[in-house]
Amino acid sequence: MTTQTLRDSRRHQLEARINDYHSVTVAEVLEVIDYLRDDKDSVIAGGSLAVGLGNRLSDLDVVIAGEQSVVSSRVPLEHFVRSLRVDVWKMSKALIDDVFERAERGLSQPGRLDDLFANVDDEVNLKLLHRIAFGITLDGPGLAAGPPRDHVAIARNVVVREYAERMREHAFLAQLSVAHDRPLAAAVNARDAVEEALHAAITASGVPFTGHKWLQERLANDVPDLRILYAPFATLPAAGEEYERFVLTAIEQCEALAGITLAADRLSSQCRWANTDLVLAEAGDSPLLLSANVGGLWQLDDTEADAWRVLMAAVDGSRSSLVDWSCSGLDQAQAALCFDLYERGLLKLIWCCGVPLSDLNFATGSPR
Amino acid sequence: MKAVPVDARRYAWCHGHGLWIMGLPVATFIEDMYGALAADQHGIVRVATREIGEACAVTLTIMLFFERPIPPPAMRASWALNRLDGHELADLCRELVRSDTRTSSSELVAKCERLLEQVQTLVGRVPDVLSPEGYFPALAAARGWLKLLEAVGEEDFLPRDWTAGG
Repeated sequence: MTTQTLRDSRRHQLEARINDYHSVTVAEVLEVIDYLRDDKDSVIAGGSLAVGLGNRLSDLDVVIAGEQSVVSSRVPLEHFVRSLRVDVWKMSKALIDDVFERAERGLSQPGRLDDLFANVDDEVNLKLLHRIAFGITLDGPGLAAGPPRDHVAIARNVVVREYAERMREHAFLAQLSVAHDRPLAAAVNARDAVEEALHAAITASGVPFTGHKWLQERLANDVPDLRILYAPFATLPAAGEEYERFVLTAIEQCEALAGITLAADRLSSQCRWANTDLVLAEAGDSPLLLSANVGGLWQLDDTEADAWRVLMAAVDGSRSSLVDWSCSGLDQAQAALCFDLYERGLLKLIWCCGVPLSDLNFATGSPR
Repeated sequence: MKAVPVDARRYAWCHGHGLWIMGLPVATFIEDMYGALAADQHGIVRVATREIGEACAVTLTIMLFFERPIPPPAMRASWALNRLDGHELADLCRELVRSDTRTSSSELVAKCERLLEQVQTLVGRVPDVLSPEGYFPALAAARGWLKLLEAVGEEDFLPRDWTAGG
């Protein structure tokens, strides 16, 4: 099947679905959002409906972009065409080029990938890359990448690497949670690690990324050979059940999928605990940790207070809000305090390096 | 007249963030849940109900116990469920987060409906921003809290501008 035939086929499938679900045509969608278009803007449909997923309640995600657009919306602009919700991202071509350029640059650098994005957590950037790379051009000339940039390869590689890096973090946190006797945090992070590994594996195999929530449908429909790997981790151990084995097996599964070592002692040398704005306030008999930003005070026992003093002594002379400590080499009390503060959102976990694609061995495939 | 139980900054922050969580992420997961149930997309039902369980636990933690800050996503479920320990809705939230594969999609949805009804009774109802009739009322509600947050000198709850960076 030629690329053009494939595109036509996907467009017809999309038309059929929104017509079936909402009795709406693409022409009607284009008419409603026409006021947002500048001259020669392209209209690109992305999201779950455009890649054969979604359902009757799914919205239609649309990107409007072109050389003439100079303003980009911070949030999607919501429209209704009968019962179909159409979320429109109005963007300048320059902004899209910039996001791809940043992604490309990130892939070539050793640092953590999300350092280049302001907010990867909500997956907006990742979805944007895939909407552009794998989206359906509903009208206009399209947004072909200028050589040598390859939108599809960048979009795919960014997701693979980003999810591999998330997998690494969850794997590390799961093991720390076991070490500090936090059963629920351990199990949640172990399951998350497996899910992130599978997302990376699925995307590497050529399947367009549509967001975290579609994992199980993707496993069922597109890569059934990976589905069996997820089954043991879909349900967390019940309260009181043995959870260390669950974590250990999850880590082994991730290592087998990604081809990298995820042992906690190895990972701890790659990351640091970073202070937010905590300072020790020695008022009265009880040592207190103060966060002025959140307006909070936390009472420390003597062991915790001593651990904090040692941590701060190690970075003597630095401003409290700018300090960080390697996650390796901490004694038991320091490690326990740092983890306790992290799980309350009072310390951050920062990674000194990313996970280069060359270190990973997810099986790659052609775009589907 | 009665004073709110915590200082103005904390009250505005906790309620503003609670409104945001229930108003957008949870509304989206509710839509996902029902859409997927009707289409027999059981994986999505499972993810959506899991996320609703976690989001409700976080919302209760910040709006009933005025805890802040909200920890990073990886620690959120355990942080909120530990804080909620003993609360009447803790077990329901925990069960949804655990996501037992022996529980059918329709049972999971029923549990979510029960949880959402009780959470909304406790913390208030938010117009459905994803519906034509709820869109503007939801924006108006958000604007009210945004103005209060600005008045007390707190950062707003909107996502940071994703176009920045690099």
